[in-house]
Amino acid sequence: MTRVLVVDDEPAIRRLVARVLERGGFTAVAVDHARGALAEVERAPPDAAIVDLGLPDMDGIELVAALRQRIAAPLLVLTARDATADKIAALDLGADDYVVKPFDGDELLARLRAALRRAGRAIGADGLQRHGAISIDAAHHELRRGDMPVALTPREFAVMEVLVAAGGRLVTHHDLLTRVWGPAHAGDTDYIRVVVRALRLKLEADPSAPTLIRNEPGIGYRLGEA
Amino acid sequence: MRVQPAAYILALTGVALVALATSLLHSHLGLASAALLFLLPVLLASVHGGMGPALVAAVAGALSFNFFLLPPRFTFRIDSFDHVISVVVLLVVALVTSRLATALKSREAEARAQAAASAEQAELAGLLGGDTPDALDRALALIGERYGSARLIAGTEPDASDAAFSSLDRSAAAWATNGAEATGHGSTALPASDWSFLPLAPGRPDGTALLAVARPAGGGTRTPTEAQQLQALARLIGQARDRRALDTERRARERLEDQDALRGTLLAALAHDFRTPLTVLGGEISALGGDPDMRRRALAEVQRLGAMMDDLVGAARIESGALRPAIEAVDLVDCIDSAAERLAPQLAAREVARDLPADLPLIAADPILLTHILTNLLANAGRHARAAIRISAMAADGFVEFHVDDDGPGVPPTLRSRLFERFARGEGGDRSGGSGLGLAIVKGFADAMGIAVAAGDAPGGGARFTLRLPQRQTARV
Repeated sequence: MTRVLVVDDEPAIRRLVARVLERGGFTAVAVDHARGALAEVERAPPDAAIVDLGLPDMDGIELVAALRQRIAAPLLVLTARDATADKIAALDLGADDYVVKPFDGDELLARLRAALRRAGRAIGADGLQRHGAISIDAAHHELRRGDMPVALTPREFAVMEVLVAAGGRLVTHHDLLTRVWGPAHAGDTDYIRVVVRALRLKLEADPSAPTLIRNEPGIGYRLGEA
Repeated sequence: MRVQPAAYILALTGVALVALATSLLHSHLGLASAALLFLLPVLLASVHGGMGPALVAAVAGALSFNFFLLPPRFTFRIDSFDHVISVVVLLVVALVTSRLATALKSREAEARAQAAASAEQAELAGLLGGDTPDALDRALALIGERYGSARLIAGTEPDASDAAFSSLDRSAAAWATNGAEATGHGSTALPASDWSFLPLAPGRPDGTALLAVARPAGGGTRTPTEAQQLQALARLIGQARDRRALDTERRARERLEDQDALRGTLLAALAHDFRTPLTVLGGEISALGGDPDMRRRALAEVQRLGAMMDDLVGAARIESGALRPAIEAVDLVDCIDSAAERLAPQLAAREVARDLPADLPLIAADPILLTHILTNLLANAGRHARAAIRISAMAADGFVEFHVDDDGPGVPPTLRSRLFERFARGEGGDRSGGSGLGLAIVKGFADAMGIAVAAGDAPGGGARFTLRLPQRQTARV
């Protein structure tokens, strides 16, 4: 049985999420504050956690950081559509994904299952990182679609390497820029836009309706379900 | 320098005393020692009286040395060439000594005057630096006490009805204001004026205020040094005033920022309060059994309520001026994609075509606000389209023209002018309607980002909404 920790100070949401989880075949452990969450993690580490960031005070964000220090399990945050800064902070501190309120139960379950699937993923026996038909051979700096190598510039390859390693997890612009261009360029979204445009021309069936490299405006990039 | 009879008398008395003493003791003194003694009154005179008395002491000393001591004594006759040299050397040494001593003395006097001036400036700065509201009055009182009645003149020139100023004074004040230089008494411009006018910010003619200082009581005149000091004091007052203005401005800005933050918090709290029941609703509906079609429709309605909530918060942000776009390089494809995904349930029954060139330039926008704009335009098209929606974009001379076309009834010309106002609706009641805020948000967000919005006719009939998005000038990566 997969145990999911639910942290939310709203009793109605707490009850709802617990019921949705049980409907999805999970065991829910609901607590109403950060201290309770940390105590529960000490007692019996859960297989996943869902944390409500709530109002724009920092409590939820701090809890995400504290949980990430203690467990490697998938972490989902619940947040408002307009709380962009909170979403970015939570992702950069180690949250795996966010779900915008109001959400429906099926969406929440789908996100949770995707996160759990990613967590269970491992590098193949051949040492390649895979995402659907895309595979990355880090040793030879080569990206293949199926069996066909795709010619990429070093920047394009580096961006794909980060995204494939994240395996469908949302990577913030800030994180991606820092890893590929260095901390001095963490704010230069121009770079990432230009490179992603080029990557889509090489990898997407229809670059004007991308399915592989998806963007969450103002937040970051993720690879689409392959 | 003023004539000081006392100093001359003192100088001559000194010489007389030395002459008397050396005459009486001449049998014991050598001529050289006697000559040196005559330098004493020169030194004393130059230190106390300055150049004039020192010169008198030097000449009188040389003559006395000759008359009383050089043989033949008690005559001005000089016998030997040796003695001529003695007198000349004494005279020259006395003259040089007097010059040196005088220079030293005047330098010391200068230093003392400068120290006094600096001390006065520091005193004034101290007064002005205090945070008390009467700091300026106390500074003016200090100047008034030392230099003559002082006051500040703000604005262009003193009021004609102000009896303290003659018409000449007013001209001097106007001149000082316009030229941003000192005028009136003690200056070279209109010195006959009874007041000195000193700009608080010299060299910065921006309707600057003036410090007006009356001629010293008793009809005295102001020395150039005093005039200079007054200019320095005026500058100090000016600096204090500028600093105070900056402080006030900063405090006002901080107050505004606090208000913005408060508004933001209120909006967030409001949105939170609405979203919690909506979330519970959405969650419960998805758990219901029964007709899956009905469940999907109910969920779409919950999503629409959520979108209306977003619109309400957006409208409040526009209204309160709390909108701060974060402009960055944006790929239009991303925002279209995200908006279309968000609207997937509402647009499921419509055919959505995209015509976006692969080399579409990046644009400069706030991606989140732009996505909200596109969501609202697409939702609007979804409500009015019969079957199809077409999204297209093309680059045009520094901009990207973006269109959303639908095949619906189109926007009646009478409605176009007020289409982007709040709660504007199509005629006959819009049963499938949105919040009535959607297009107002489009306009408000677009305005905040410098994006032009227009409504018109689509080529195949139906409505066309156009955004004119500024291109992002991106350096090579």
